[in-house]
Amino acid sequence: MVSFPATDAVDPADATLSDHELMLAVRDGELDALGELFERHHGPLYGFLVKFTGQRTAAEDIVQTVFQRMLKYRHTYRDEGNFTAWMYHLARRCAADHFRKSNAAPAATDPADLQDHADDAPHAGDRAATSDDHALLHTALSRLDRDDREVLLLSRFQELPFAEIAAVLECSVGAAKVRAHRALRELRDTYFQLQQERLT
Amino acid sequence: MNCTQAQERFADLLDARRTGPDHAAVRAHLASCPACQREYATLARTLAALDALPAAPPSPALRRNFYAMLEEEKLAAAGRPAAFRRPRPALRSALWRWILAPAAAGTLAIAAFLAGTRYAPPAAAPGLDPATKRELAELRARVDSVGQLVGYSLLQQRSTSERLQGVLATLDRKDPSQKVLSDLIGALALDPSANVRLSALDALYPHANQQLVRSGVLASLPREQNPLVQVAMIDFLVAARDHAAAPELGRMARNETLDRAVRDAAQRGLAQL
Repeated sequence: MVSFPATDAVDPADATLSDHELMLAVRDGELDALGELFERHHGPLYGFLVKFTGQRTAAEDIVQTVFQRMLKYRHTYRDEGNFTAWMYHLARRCAADHFRKSNAAPAATDPADLQDHADDAPHAGDRAATSDDHALLHTALSRLDRDDREVLLLSRFQELPFAEIAAVLECSVGAAKVRAHRALRELRDTYFQLQQERLT
Repeated sequence: MNCTQAQERFADLLDARRTGPDHAAVRAHLASCPACQREYATLARTLAALDALPAAPPSPALRRNFYAMLEEEKLAAAGRPAAFRRPRPALRSALWRWILAPAAAGTLAIAAFLAGTRYAPPAAAPGLDPATKRELAELRARVDSVGQLVGYSLLQQRSTSERLQGVLATLDRKDPSQKVLSDLIGALALDPSANVRLSALDALYPHANQQLVRSGVLASLPREQNPLVQVAMIDFLVAARDHAAAPELGRMARNETLDRAVRDAAQRGLAQL
């Protein structure tokens, strides 16, 4: 991979700079700083979106769009902003656009999307009953309401404090916790039910 | 603490990031309540399974596309003194589509014709020394590339995504025609989107054994401004073992106005050639 030299004003590779400081630098014209933010966050963001959408290609498209929008709307990033919350706020909107365009719930992961990746669990509706636990869990996730799936994944995969999750979801901290726990119970019920079906 | 109160606090107890004094009371209840133990154990098991889901990495294309997009934005930002002074895209597009593109195409076609009639050698030129042959080959490549650029200029009316799809569609063709290869070289040389140019280069890789392809990439290299695409083109020529690229790589390796990564790639390429 090509690495590009840092700018004079801000060293984008400086690990001591916080996400917020880097994004402020991007806002002020140091666009290279976005590279460091990409390196820090694209993996977790992609992981979240793969599980949220159930589709690898859609997840990659959304990650790309999120960082495009960061550049496009960098002037709107505020001094008192929270980068992670802002990023997931953008990601939610991009995902909503994706679902609106595809006009389909992310209920089924396309097996063709996953077959080239040996480390990824296969998943596809009824076929999951004969597959492994990962596939069962993917199926259970896909059967959750989209909002429930989102809050549960945010709470587990991104190590976001509930205060930030609440900011992303634009609700109270208490409401975010209740929704996450309710989603976990529903996931548990569906997951165990699928396991029982597989055994019988 | 009863079961309802205990289960209301399971969310906090399951959240490893939280520690609080209430947890002691919940744990005490759990120790004495088999029903709550079952409830808690199943939730914890589900969470453990969720956390253990494999996190597959994204494809390399994601990082490549991101840096191409970033470079494009940097170039755009550097070339625009003030956002409000930019011409309106619709106007610029209309100008290009109806006036500049036909004019540019005509000019290039005339230049190609004149260059061809003036410099093109007879079909067979036995007895020429190697240096002359090399010069003639370079001239042919330049004339060829001009012709390809003319052809490609006609495709400029489509959107970026359409052009990208057009390039990607060629990947499925095992034996593409010369016209397809010419269009790909044209995309590499002229397309305003770095993503399209990179995709065109990817699509040309399987055909790097063809002289037309190598010449086209080499002819496009000096006009390329994006460091990411420049490095990709250098890698292409080195992978194709195109020794004709050595002089150009030498010039790039010495050109201090180029990005450091590009100069390094040119230097490495020279060593390999």
